[in-house]
Amino acid sequence: MIRTENLTKVYNGKTAVDGLDLEVEEGEVFGFLGPNGAGKSTTILMLTGMIEPTGGRCLVDGIEVAKDPLKVKEIIGYLPEDVGFYGNMTGEQNLGYFARFYGTTAKERKERIAEMLELVHLDGVTQKAGEYSRGMKQRLGLAQAMINDPKVLFLDEPTANLDPEGAREYRDLVERLAGEGKTVFVSSQILSEVRAVCRTVGLLAKGKLVAQGTLDGVARTLAPSDGDAVRIVVETREHLPDLEDPAIIDIERNGTRAIVRAKADIRDQLAETLFSQGLHVREMRIEEPDIEDVFMAVYRR
Amino acid sequence: MAFDRVLNVARKEFSDHITSRRFIIVLALFLVISAVSIHEGIEVYNAQLDTYNEQLQQMTTEIEGPYPGWMPEKPSIMLVFLFMMSYMSALGSILALAIGFDLVSKEKESRSLKSLLSHPVYRDEIINGKVLGGVGALGFAMALALAVSLAMLLVFSVVPTLDEFAAILIFGAASLGFLLAYFAVAITMSTVAKESGSALIYTLVIFAVVSTLLPILGTMAADVFSGDPPEPPEMVAPMPTPAQSSGGGYVTASDDPRETDPAWRDYEEARKAYTEKRRFISDVSSILSPQMNYMVVSMAVTNPGSSTMYTAYGALQVEPGGGLADALGQVWMNIAALIVFPAVFFGATYVKFMRMDIR
Repeated sequence: MIRTENLTKVYNGKTAVDGLDLEVEEGEVFGFLGPNGAGKSTTILMLTGMIEPTGGRCLVDGIEVAKDPLKVKEIIGYLPEDVGFYGNMTGEQNLGYFARFYGTTAKERKERIAEMLELVHLDGVTQKAGEYSRGMKQRLGLAQAMINDPKVLFLDEPTANLDPEGAREYRDLVERLAGEGKTVFVSSQILSEVRAVCRTVGLLAKGKLVAQGTLDGVARTLAPSDGDAVRIVVETREHLPDLEDPAIIDIERNGTRAIVRAKADIRDQLAETLFSQGLHVREMRIEEPDIEDVFMAVYRR
Repeated sequence: MAFDRVLNVARKEFSDHITSRRFIIVLALFLVISAVSIHEGIEVYNAQLDTYNEQLQQMTTEIEGPYPGWMPEKPSIMLVFLFMMSYMSALGSILALAIGFDLVSKEKESRSLKSLLSHPVYRDEIINGKVLGGVGALGFAMALALAVSLAMLLVFSVVPTLDEFAAILIFGAASLGFLLAYFAVAITMSTVAKESGSALIYTLVIFAVVSTLLPILGTMAADVFSGDPPEPPEMVAPMPTPAQSSGGGYVTASDDPRETDPAWRDYEEARKAYTEKRRFISDVSSILSPQMNYMVVSMAVTNPGSSTMYTAYGALQVEPGGGLADALGQVWMNIAALIVFPAVFFGATYVKFMRMDIR
């Protein structure tokens, strides 16, 4: 549904997005992760047809965005970071103004606007948008992004201004949209936010795609390399005796606890050895890389 | 570019303008001052009409008067609009600047432009819609001002003829052209500046330069480059007392010893060349000033028979001609300048808006 090919954007000699190759399947909820200034928003601006790429191309539903931005805009919805509205108009009037660009009838517009306002709990709000709180603006932003019932939804830092209740409602909404078969592209620098709703992620750093896939897969790919070694955490109630196995490379001991680096997964053998010595095993597991730590390490690069 | 999308933007902009407190306040002031100026103009018109009637009556009773070739000139109701023009050039420009200076910068500040651009509309459609909405609002203000002035004329039992009505419409179009000139400056600065505050400052600087500084510089340049005016020759015969007319009418030519004196003829030619040179230098700088162009065009429309009008920046001259068409023909450069000036600024706005960084 979304594809970029060697997508590049250069601003005043500075490369914001550098040869990005990305693919998001239809119906996927995709998390676009990366630190501030990684090029996430610039990528979204190119995908939504708001700026033209310096090089490469991007396609949404098979349509090349730079060649036919209007056609793309008709099938997508976009919630910008720090979304803004016309402060002298109510939420309903703002949505009405945007909805007129889709060539719908007045009746269709009225129904869709009412539906959207109800969805984001802004129905019955008569205040002007200029008097809205940031959370209300964010919710109105979601409504304006969905005013045309889009096939693809681009959300840039969608929970930035939402309170916990708003964030929960946002997650429910994304799940509902995923259930309807819509493709959702969520850009964020907050891993927990992406983790909560996205099935696949792409990690961007300094304009380049560092990894793409499932969250665990990306974490494994990015984890510091330890060759083919497996790290096994072992904890017993009693003092841990010497462990002997040809597969063991080394052991980091700490009283009743140890991390065993082995050439293969030897948990069965270790368990048998410890059991035969009458020891009580409290914990034995393969140590997975901590996703937060892995991503933070990439952010700090 | 689809016109329905341009129209959608224009409709919203027009509605924003005419419902904004800023526009309503300046418009109200504009209309009140227009009404006052029209009232003032009607009083002067009525006084001139009384004088005209008295002179006509004198002609019918005293056929053998002191100036046998003299005919009084009937005052035109367009005189009333000459009064309106002076107020229009001050308050109208403020109205135009007020609605334009934050038209784009406000959208950048509120980030609504990004939201708008995420929907199926091209950038050129947005800027064209904004300009159209602004032109509509200024046209609305101008139409109201003309309607008020016409209503006042009718209240004072002054009914314009068809020709005068056409002249009023042309005056309205020239006034709208003048308003558009400053609206174009304001919207350009709004597109160039990052914030509305800066846009307002830039707009006011350009306003001061083109409305005040340029005409003054033009007059100064004319003084510098034309040198000293030629001195008249010694008079060989006493000059006859020039004929005075209280109603601004014409006096037929009488024998003048200056016409036969060769030294005086040389002086006349040198003076004419000097005046032409001064006028050319002054005109070159004035053509860049919407204020000056508006004054010249308005003078041609409102008083096509007159030859000179004195302003704060010096004398504006229009050769006395036959009628409105002749008068307009003489000021075609000023009319063209009133069209070209906003067109240049609108063009600059368009280019800048199309290339604007919306991150």
